[in-house]
Amino acid sequence: MAETKDRKSFLDKDYTRRQFLKLSGKSLVGLTFSASLISALGVSAKSLAEDKVRVWAFPQGLLVVDADRCVGCQRCEINCTLTNDGCCSSYISRVKVTRNLYSSRNGTGLYTEDNWTYFPDTCRQCKKPFCGEACPMGAIYADDLGVRRVDTEKCIGCGACTEACPWHMPTVNPVTHKSSKCVMCGACAEGCPSGALSIVPWDMIVSASQKT
Amino acid sequence: MSVKNGINGWAGTILRVNLTTGAITKEDTLPKYKPFIGGMGIGYKVIWDEVPLNTDPLGPDAKCVFGVGPLTASGVPCSGRMNITLLSCWSKGYSIVDAHMGGHIAHAFKYAGYDAMIVEGQSDKPVYIRIEDEKVTIEDASHVWGKGTFETNATLAKENGPEFDVASIGPAGENLVPMSNIVTSFGNSGGAGIGALLGSKKVKAVVVRGTGAVKIAEPMKVRLLSNYMIKDLVGGNNNHTVPCHAQSWSEYVATNNRWQGAPGITWDKASKGPIDMGEQPSGQINVAALRCNKGVFDFGEIAEKYTVKQGGCSSCPVRCYTEYDMDPLADYDLPTHVSNTCMPIIKMLEWYPNHKDADGNSVPSTHDFVDEKDAKMILGGAGSRAADEYGVWCNYGNLYEDFNMAYTTGVLKDVADKLYPGEWDEIPWDLMESGDPRWLFEVYRRISLGKGLFSDLGLGTYRLYEKWGMDDPAKNVAGVSFYDFVNGKNFNIGHNGYPRHHGPENCWQAGTLYSMMYNRDCMIHHLINFCSSGAPYNEITKPVLEHFFGEGCTDPQKHYTPINENKIKLAKWAFIGKQWHDSATLCNWMYPMTIATSKKRNYIGDLDLDAKYMTAVTGEEYTREDQERDSERISQLLRVMTAVSFKLNLGSTNLRKDHDKVSEWVFDKEPDFKPFEEGTVKLDREDWEKSLDMWYEAMGWNKETGIPTRATLEKFDLKDCADKLEELGLI
Repeated sequence: MAETKDRKSFLDKDYTRRQFLKLSGKSLVGLTFSASLISALGVSAKSLAEDKVRVWAFPQGLLVVDADRCVGCQRCEINCTLTNDGCCSSYISRVKVTRNLYSSRNGTGLYTEDNWTYFPDTCRQCKKPFCGEACPMGAIYADDLGVRRVDTEKCIGCGACTEACPWHMPTVNPVTHKSSKCVMCGACAEGCPSGALSIVPWDMIVSASQKT
Repeated sequence: MSVKNGINGWAGTILRVNLTTGAITKEDTLPKYKPFIGGMGIGYKVIWDEVPLNTDPLGPDAKCVFGVGPLTASGVPCSGRMNITLLSCWSKGYSIVDAHMGGHIAHAFKYAGYDAMIVEGQSDKPVYIRIEDEKVTIEDASHVWGKGTFETNATLAKENGPEFDVASIGPAGENLVPMSNIVTSFGNSGGAGIGALLGSKKVKAVVVRGTGAVKIAEPMKVRLLSNYMIKDLVGGNNNHTVPCHAQSWSEYVATNNRWQGAPGITWDKASKGPIDMGEQPSGQINVAALRCNKGVFDFGEIAEKYTVKQGGCSSCPVRCYTEYDMDPLADYDLPTHVSNTCMPIIKMLEWYPNHKDADGNSVPSTHDFVDEKDAKMILGGAGSRAADEYGVWCNYGNLYEDFNMAYTTGVLKDVADKLYPGEWDEIPWDLMESGDPRWLFEVYRRISLGKGLFSDLGLGTYRLYEKWGMDDPAKNVAGVSFYDFVNGKNFNIGHNGYPRHHGPENCWQAGTLYSMMYNRDCMIHHLINFCSSGAPYNEITKPVLEHFFGEGCTDPQKHYTPINENKIKLAKWAFIGKQWHDSATLCNWMYPMTIATSKKRNYIGDLDLDAKYMTAVTGEEYTREDQERDSERISQLLRVMTAVSFKLNLGSTNLRKDHDKVSEWVFDKEPDFKPFEEGTVKLDREDWEKSLDMWYEAMGWNKETGIPTRATLEKFDLKDCADKLEELGLI
């Protein structure tokens, strides 16, 4: 996709978090981005054009996932569980890279010949959440910021959320028997040493999107 | 709380797998093994208590101990190491050794709920050990027996599911070749003959999935300490703390080191086009993994052309395994995906010595592939893949240096004619002479067979030299001792069958002392890290080191000074610190944090960081003094076990004479120089003897024999060791 100034679109204009929420998790292929916004996202026009980069709206900004930069260190899972669970684990992490690292369901990983493809999966924060809709107890709710959380008082650990999520992101902790999912705390991106996960603050997005 | 066991740091359980009976049992880690920390320490204690040191290393009574420690998978950076303890089947004395591997399996194992796994007995058919949390089973492995490690790991990972990690042995281990390893992830391996030991037990692989967690006393403290380390302390691989290429924020630029990431240094084969590594200022977390580019360090900027990304181990922000897609190998029907670091990938040209043409002229055996001078990299890629495929361990380079020396001195041909008549003509030397990468697959295949000329190389230096007469000038056509003679390929540190691992050539007497202390290469990086960090000597290295260890503790490169008390202090810190790292477990290529990247710290590192992590993880106050006491306990146990092995297996009562004897080339090299002159790294014989005296005294060992005294051992609660030494007449 060319970084042209003359091709204006909705996305070149005044970005707000709400507007990005509409885009969140979707492919960015075919959309036109200004050079300044591409720069703010820390990615290349080519990566956007080839669908290698995904973005997710977080309260703090836009979460950018760049698979090519992922080095497989699992620090995202480590920082997620240290922050949210008071322990260190991979399985219950809300961001998941380990399951893509060895021999993933997608046929990628170190034990395949798929040219070093592995990357972190993140919660999509779906507008109509499969997890929440599947929960028989109504335990998954949206907070004031729109972040979907698990009410552990209501959760019975049945795993319906895990099964319903197309990406199996919510995970029932085998010890507490409570489900957990991403609460958009940002610890994964803050501790990512390669920039594979990054959060671009909203003010930077707005500022960049107003430039031509 | 999200953790089952209620213990901070340790998983709390040791697994025992008996392959003869099929029994799988569990026992508590604590309190018995707490004084030995974890990993290597648990391994040593188990072997000391359970395996007589004259046990056949490949017999039914041999055991090995897979171990991780309280910091493994605790969130602490660079805690992805697994230690495997066993008895050597290849080095002098057949004593205690360790294999060490990175990758991701240490985390999986700890998450599954184990601090260690003792493997004992022997199976009568090929099996693999399957660990899925508390469910541990012995499974049939006949379908992967005979397969290479890449195929085995791929097959077992696929069969068991996406969250299972695998470590496997190759044909070399199956055929009981001593120079054999276990391979996990992609090229991450542990050596020391563990392949042969597992092969003798018919264990092809270990397959692990862990859905559990490690309990942390102060999780946010661990996160903050980790952030502080990544921001202010850690640099590139080997903790090289000054960037190699000018960066706008950096006060200094290194001449050459592993911090090769910089603007303009790219991963050209990233799927969506080149990724520029950019600047990586001290103080920033999100660029830390872009500091190291081992490929460019190893092969120059040509490596960028084939780089996809930089890989490495669980929890580590410093990526030392460049992941390549080397297209030129496809022309030879070889796999193009390659990843490894150091010896197995950088020294493959040693398998291609100059050969003689029809007129008797010496001609090079290698050629460029696509670009000028790319042979070292392309052949390196092929060789590392071949070595790991067959599960062959290189003994820190001695495997190919021994071949190179034997070939160029005529010993190889002479031995072949005498021991293996007819075999020479069956070897496809044309592959070697034409620089064909398939030569490497042929070499490693032959080594892995367990019989024939090349498989003798797989015996390891000690048994090879004995078999081929290379240890005695009167017994080989070259007329030299290959342990002692001055030759650019001779890196034997002593007469025990293994080389120095950053010894006198970089780290003066200190490196030589600790290179002598093990029954394999020492794998200590405490000193080489700051010696080659890229920090200027007078402005940073000397003041920082003297801040920690006192005046005169360190020397500039190639300008050494006589031994002194502070050098001994530094050497002892490094020696016992290595045991700490393999027990905790932390990566010794990165720790300790001696020199910092941060100018505002005056580049002074933090030698207390490891203990701070222990306190935050376990919730029990742990100081650097505690760390050094426990590490020295393990170090004393290493020395005791070495002494007992030498007595039982060789009849020796004197380690100074029979174990710690340094090769002559260390003193004889560079004849135009005298020791301690600027420009040489040769050592002085008299000064070395004085160094040993001071070292033994610092370690609490008898100066005549180099064996620990009863007082020393009782100081570390090792009375049973003292009693055993007394029983054997060693104290």
